[in-house]
Amino acid sequence: MENLLWANSRWGSKLLAMAIACLAAVWVAVPFLWAIGNSLKTHADIFKPGAIIPFLQFTPTLDAWRDVIGDPQALNCLFSSALVGVGTTLLVLLIGTPAAYSLARFEFKIKSKDITLWFLSQRVLPPVVVLTPFYILLAEFGLIDTWIGLILLYSTFNLAFCVVIMRDIFRDVSKEVEEAARIEGASLWQIFWMIALPLSLDGLIVTAFIVFAFCWNEALFASAVTSQHAATMPAFILASRSTRGVDFNFAAVNTILAIAPPVILSFFVQRYLARGLSFGAVKG
Amino acid sequence: MEATASVQSKAERGFKYALLAPAVIWVIGLTFFPILAAVHYSFANYVLGEGITGYVGFDNYARLLTDSGFWYSIFITVLYVGITVPIEVCAGFILAWLITIGLPGRSFFRPVLTAPLFTMEVAIGYLGVTLFTDQGGLVSALLGAFGIQIPWLSTAAGGLAAAMILDIWIWTPFVFLMSLATLSAIPNDIYDAAMLESSSHWQVFRHVAVPLAWPVLTIAILLRVIEGLKSFGLPYALTSGGPGTSTQLFSIMADLTTIQFTDFGRGSAMGIIYLILASVVISYFFKQMRKRIE
Amino acid sequence: MSQDRSREHFQELAAGFLAGRISRRHFIGQAAKLGISAALLSRIMTSRAYAADSNLIDSSPDYPNESPITKERIAFLKNKPYKGQTINVMVLKATVGDGLKYWVPKWEEETGGKVNVAEVPIDTLHQQIFSDLQTTHKYDTYMTGAWFYGDFFVPKEPYIIDVGPYLKDPKYPYWNPDDWIPAMRTLYSWQGKVYGVLFDGDAQILYYRRDVLEKAENQQKFKDKLGYDLPNPPKTTKEMHDVATFFTGWDWNGDGKDDWGISLHAKVNEQGFFHFLTLAAPYVCSPNNKYFWFHPETFKPLINSEGHLRALEDYVKFLPCGPKEAISWTLGQGWSLFLAGHAVMEPTWGDLPTFAQDPKESTVKGKVGATIIPGTSEAFDPIKGQWDKFDLNSVGNTNGGSWHCVISRFSKKKEVTYDFLAFMATKKNAIYNCTHGFTGVQPGMKFEYFPPVGTGKVEEWVEQGWDPDEAKRYLDAYYQNLSLPVQETYLRIPGAAEYWHELDVRVSAVLAGQTQPKAALDDCAQAWERITERYGRDKQKKLYAESFA
Repeated sequence: MENLLWANSRWGSKLLAMAIACLAAVWVAVPFLWAIGNSLKTHADIFKPGAIIPFLQFTPTLDAWRDVIGDPQALNCLFSSALVGVGTTLLVLLIGTPAAYSLARFEFKIKSKDITLWFLSQRVLPPVVVLTPFYILLAEFGLIDTWIGLILLYSTFNLAFCVVIMRDIFRDVSKEVEEAARIEGASLWQIFWMIALPLSLDGLIVTAFIVFAFCWNEALFASAVTSQHAATMPAFILASRSTRGVDFNFAAVNTILAIAPPVILSFFVQRYLARGLSFGAVKG
Repeated sequence: MEATASVQSKAERGFKYALLAPAVIWVIGLTFFPILAAVHYSFANYVLGEGITGYVGFDNYARLLTDSGFWYSIFITVLYVGITVPIEVCAGFILAWLITIGLPGRSFFRPVLTAPLFTMEVAIGYLGVTLFTDQGGLVSALLGAFGIQIPWLSTAAGGLAAAMILDIWIWTPFVFLMSLATLSAIPNDIYDAAMLESSSHWQVFRHVAVPLAWPVLTIAILLRVIEGLKSFGLPYALTSGGPGTSTQLFSIMADLTTIQFTDFGRGSAMGIIYLILASVVISYFFKQMRKRIE
Repeated sequence: MSQDRSREHFQELAAGFLAGRISRRHFIGQAAKLGISAALLSRIMTSRAYAADSNLIDSSPDYPNESPITKERIAFLKNKPYKGQTINVMVLKATVGDGLKYWVPKWEEETGGKVNVAEVPIDTLHQQIFSDLQTTHKYDTYMTGAWFYGDFFVPKEPYIIDVGPYLKDPKYPYWNPDDWIPAMRTLYSWQGKVYGVLFDGDAQILYYRRDVLEKAENQQKFKDKLGYDLPNPPKTTKEMHDVATFFTGWDWNGDGKDDWGISLHAKVNEQGFFHFLTLAAPYVCSPNNKYFWFHPETFKPLINSEGHLRALEDYVKFLPCGPKEAISWTLGQGWSLFLAGHAVMEPTWGDLPTFAQDPKESTVKGKVGATIIPGTSEAFDPIKGQWDKFDLNSVGNTNGGSWHCVISRFSKKKEVTYDFLAFMATKKNAIYNCTHGFTGVQPGMKFEYFPPVGTGKVEEWVEQGWDPDEAKRYLDAYYQNLSLPVQETYLRIPGAAEYWHELDVRVSAVLAGQTQPKAALDDCAQAWERITERYGRDKQKKLYAESFA
């Protein structure tokens, strides 16, 4: 594919494509670089005009980094975020993928399209409205400030993603192969497990990414339902807003700390994503 | 013959329910009480420390529906989504297309272009304050070099614009990822065949990529609209809804009412009104978009 | 002759005792030596309800972290009384949170107890405190802002406990609520009983660049332009306006860029409205009227009275005297403008002069002057509905959070908790807190100030990097503010945050030019009425009355 589409392009188009991609990469990079810059500034420098390039226009300092990393709560929050993110993703995939497959292949008394819409509707209500009832619910079961409590909450919120996205992936992929296998006498479970899942691996990975990203990102419930042990990075970042407003250099350090693990992770996972992509091609 | 048919369909039935049930039970189980509670509160007068002090019928609803501030917040929320989502969708899809057709350096671009998705909206909001401020902010400095001065954070329009720019930065990768997944699920042969037929990238894009990716794209658009309407962390960190209440998106208003002021009565009513409005709009949207493919 | 001498001596002693300079023990001893009868003495002494200070020792080498200390306390500590006990504290993640954390290891070492500190973002602090009080009961004590008090007293049995009984028991760390400047004590009390243990004491006063106001050139220019001497510092609101306007728009600090007269941040939800409250006080509060917020009988909002309106109109006049973007600045950004040397004045908290001492944060060390908020010559009495004239009506304030800990009624370890809180409130530790900037604590106790008011030592401040004169100026002005006979009353009824927010967004809208002052305040009053209705007018009225003590 690469060969045919890309090779057949005029070098003008290739250049344009490259330019757009590079521009996009710069667009993505600028805020990160700015965050790095902010994390190296003193309070006074944050709002000093002209303090853009470190060393040339302002003296960088590691104070903010030292303060944040020296705070054991920072690492604790990173760990909590990771744990909750992974836990939620696994739980969501576990519960949601079979449901999505079922909705993709079969019909129910209620149209599966409408059931999907119902799942989607779970995401419509702003979480803040149900915050207190959820808090009370968790408190009833002693799950305030626990990882399990957060995982249960987040799974509920994110199940919709898995169901909706995977249903669509399943609908397109592997129908013929499945039919062939059926004729061969494979059982429904075998088809689901051995054919449908592997062929939609890239969809699963994308879903996993999205669910993980949402958990990583979620600030409202994290700060309302946890106080110490299970506090995640977003709660930690929110706390850089103190009685004197935001400590922007701390917030910048937190931003970088918070984004580093998933981004590094995604660099690794991308390789599998690539495999997943070419898998579709090989199937031909 | 009949026996096998009914056995098959019974096995099928068992199977399909077994797969679907856990998810449905989960969602109902965990959302039933909270949503019921929200509806319950919406008809009550709630005071911190005393709980529900009385029931007020539709009073909370009536007050909100006649509050111009409430409608204003819904208006700018819709505006916010109406501008950011189309841009995110176009940009995300085009970038995914470029990767799909074989852009060199894919293994570099893919993770880089996905990265913003993992940032925290609140953190980016704070970053945005330092980016858009005219006291040493990067954006102001760059624009200043061309003699342009935009009052980003001291006006409603500027504040909304800054929030939208950052929103696009964060969420374009979402569309990018989903487009990537679906574009790459399309077999190469189809692209090759189309290419041979028309030998124009644009034609392949328009007649092959977009139609085939449309189902998943619909989902992406829908999800972005749903999420976008709930936008909170980013605009809140950037402007706190100010100056005054001119950038107070719906979720900011809901957060203030429910969390800061513990006015669950009004907050829940807000949520229910929003739920009804949004559900109507979204399901109409959904059905329209689906019509195009089915 | 000797009788006269001893009478003089006695008068000196009495004066010293009443001013808090001499300890009760010393006074009794010396008075007895002079032959003063016990009966007479007992009439002079108010009955001290707190731990017998006749047992007070100035310090104990075994327990260097508490001073002064009672004999009972020393005995009590000998066998690590709280060994194996853990208390849970909820604080906000901020300077004051750091201040509290600093004392944890010291207290743990002395008493054997353990403190588990949870730091919570300021946005969810209120929600977390009350969620815990209503459901989980996990925390023994919370660091609260003074405006939360109303909410604590809503239920029939308040959520927090009165610490009076503990104060009487000499085995706890010694601190004395009578040492408070009365205006500050109010924020820790309710209906005369003390509920909070000393920690922070906030107030806003006016800080200014004394070097800029002292410069002869500037004084000459001012006189030429405005026809009277440059007030150094401004004492009336008109003078403050003139100074702010005069110093706006030209480069008086020599850095090549035009500078500003005043720094007033106004971002919504970032405590910007405190500037307005602080500056508006003398327009409404006066010796004739103490009501700023609500009418005590009808509980109708007073926020749109003529006095408040004029205050807001005058406040808006400051708008051109600062950068346009300031209306969307956070508190820290507002401070930055002054600390970087670009603004002549800023009415704000004690963090400003504290940061001014740090060369990493400021360029104005040694240049900061401090004074009470300028007063007015006319104040509106909203109850009578008339303007009263004064020579100079100066009003003090205790605006701010005045963050401190209160003990939950549900705590199963109230004594242990009180012990920890009182530990941080002993004289020695209180002084440490207010001299060390990282704690964010400001002085609320008389002894923290320099003589003749208190027993503070300027060396302690210098050690922390303070310019000694600056420290004196700051503390003088701060004390003056807190001791002004007329104080702006602090709103401590349920929903205080909500009432304030309605004001906050409207002041912000006026500053952004989105609405006019009269319309904004009228609208605010309407919004306040709705809030009042929701909470219950009678209840609000009752709690409003209770909150004054």
